[in-house]
Amino acid sequence: MSDRRRINGPVGATIPPASEDGASREVAGSRGGRSRPPNAIRKMYLKTGVTPSASGSAYLEIETSGRSGVSGLKLSCTVHGPRSLPRSSPFSPHIILSTHVKYAPFATRQRRGYLRDPSERDLGTHLEAALRGAIIADRWPKSGVDIIVSIIEGDQDRETSKTQGDESWDLMNALSGCITVASAALADAGIDCIDTVAGGVAALVSDKGDGNPSIVIDPIPSEHDRILAACCIAYLPTRDEVTNLWFKGDLPASDAELYTKLVEKGIQASAKANRVLVECLGETVG
Amino acid sequence: MASTQHVLLSPAELAYLHAALSLTPPIRPDGRAPAQFRPLIAETGILPGTNGSARICFADGTEAIVGVKAEVERTRLADGATAGTEWEEGGSARGEGEDDDGGDKAGDSDWVGLTVEIPGYRDDDAGTAFLGAMLSEALLADGAFARRLWINRRFHWKLYLDILLISPPLSYPLPLLSLTTHLALLATRLPLLKSEGDEDPFFDDDWAAARHLYPRGSGSSRTTKESARPPVTLLVMAVGNNIIFDPAKEELAVADVALAVSVAEDTAVATSTAATMDLDDAAVPAARSLRLLSIRTIDPPSRLTPPGVPNAANSAYGATTAQNQPEARTAEAEAVEGVWRAPRGGAKPLVMAALVQKVLEKGGVADEVLDALDAVDLG
Repeated sequence: MSDRRRINGPVGATIPPASEDGASREVAGSRGGRSRPPNAIRKMYLKTGVTPSASGSAYLEIETSGRSGVSGLKLSCTVHGPRSLPRSSPFSPHIILSTHVKYAPFATRQRRGYLRDPSERDLGTHLEAALRGAIIADRWPKSGVDIIVSIIEGDQDRETSKTQGDESWDLMNALSGCITVASAALADAGIDCIDTVAGGVAALVSDKGDGNPSIVIDPIPSEHDRILAACCIAYLPTRDEVTNLWFKGDLPASDAELYTKLVEKGIQASAKANRVLVECLGETVG
Repeated sequence: MASTQHVLLSPAELAYLHAALSLTPPIRPDGRAPAQFRPLIAETGILPGTNGSARICFADGTEAIVGVKAEVERTRLADGATAGTEWEEGGSARGEGEDDDGGDKAGDSDWVGLTVEIPGYRDDDAGTAFLGAMLSEALLADGAFARRLWINRRFHWKLYLDILLISPPLSYPLPLLSLTTHLALLATRLPLLKSEGDEDPFFDDDWAAARHLYPRGSGSSRTTKESARPPVTLLVMAVGNNIIFDPAKEELAVADVALAVSVAEDTAVATSTAATMDLDDAAVPAARSLRLLSIRTIDPPSRLTPPGVPNAANSAYGATTAQNQPEARTAEAEAVEGVWRAPRGGAKPLVMAALVQKVLEKGGVADEVLDALDAVDLG
């Protein structure tokens, strides 16, 4: 189904030429290595209550990496509700969550349309699973809440002119940001949760220099030579529970240790993001 | 959404089911063992107009068909120009470092188009998109699948997988769709290439000479690096301390946590053992090692079930507090034995790890399923 309501840009668009400043790149390695220690997440800025018309809202910005042309993630989330369901809908003993994740058309290197594509719907389903575990749903029977996350700027390296299949790994970073920002917006809207849920990503990467793959948290795909596996985790720290787990990659089953470690690191990343979240909410209250 | 469709079970029924499934060993409504699949009927090659097709019918009446169609497509170079226009310089520059089965044969995830159709649901429904994303993610996870579609540097096969559930979704259709896709891909054949090098592809028109996308048979035809079987996605859930495979709809309605785990056979090991142990065919399946490709949490419909009311809070049984104090209704009721409450929160990381471990263990369910699918006649 194509979008007939708006005048869209041409379909076969070209990518603007990017001049490659060869000298500086060669020194730093072809893709620029990771500048942070392996168990540090990027700095993030979180603020709640940015959209006055919504009942709850939050804005999340994740630091850009040191190189120019690489943008950080910028997310904005609005929560509308809880409000009563339309009369036509059947009785529900719980609050009905509906989550929408949408990339802005200009958020990524490849322009996105106004209609949500399957990958965005998929992200919405992941977000719903992550939040549903955190919300105390039976306190609002017969009501619904809309959670809308717009990704204003994706986490992509615009200078690399060739596509390296990084997009699928970018989704994980985007999801972890979506979970954190949606959790902050839910708290801002005053919807009861059992805990604040935050997202974290850990990845098994291999770099050119050393042969052994290593596990890093909060990976930027363009900083690594190859990502072998990654997992995104939504974690409730006070209950020590995972509400959403998304693992993707290629791991030998004989090495269960590797998988366990990856999940552990994901939980660690999520706990770090949670600290930022709790501090931000504390500021609002205090 | 397909996994969270409304389950018409009362709180009392849910509490009963949960209790029965938490016993050791669990008592499932259809009498299966915890790791037992529903019996199924499978056949391949049912659609003459496709490159490969399969149909699976589960005993509970759900049925799916998958058709695989392949088209030749011109490969786009990364800079956006088609390969044909800038062929001269591009070809000579890359020709030097050409490695026969190296990274030059890299595939692209765009070469596979996968659509899922579930009756009663819109094709842009979030649940359908989730199912489609899960199946294609598993297929493309190891990067070897797209490489199979490589013809030469200018052309590739574009594979369209159309997955149709032809019965109403009586249970969460993920295992059914995954097994059917697996069989259809095993049965898929592509015409034999007659042209050489980078010229326009020209194929043998004899269908009998067509080659399987996943070559079958003994180790000789297999290439070592690629897995010889498509992945399978298994649905597994935990209730209490029990791990239950292939849950029916009613069982999923009381799940504490549900995971979809995709695994594939790792043939790098299997072929080497097959070469050394020619004498003993039975030793080959034992040497199979699995690869973990993807895991997703399925939002269990149990979170959307109505809670039961304990007698102590029920005015029909003499409780008066609920009527007099409206505050008391919102206050948290203590969990009462035998009264259903929708689970809250997530799952402990250890429980999730146990679920994954159970899928991957040697001689476990994944092995059994792959063995069973091996027995299907591919025509």
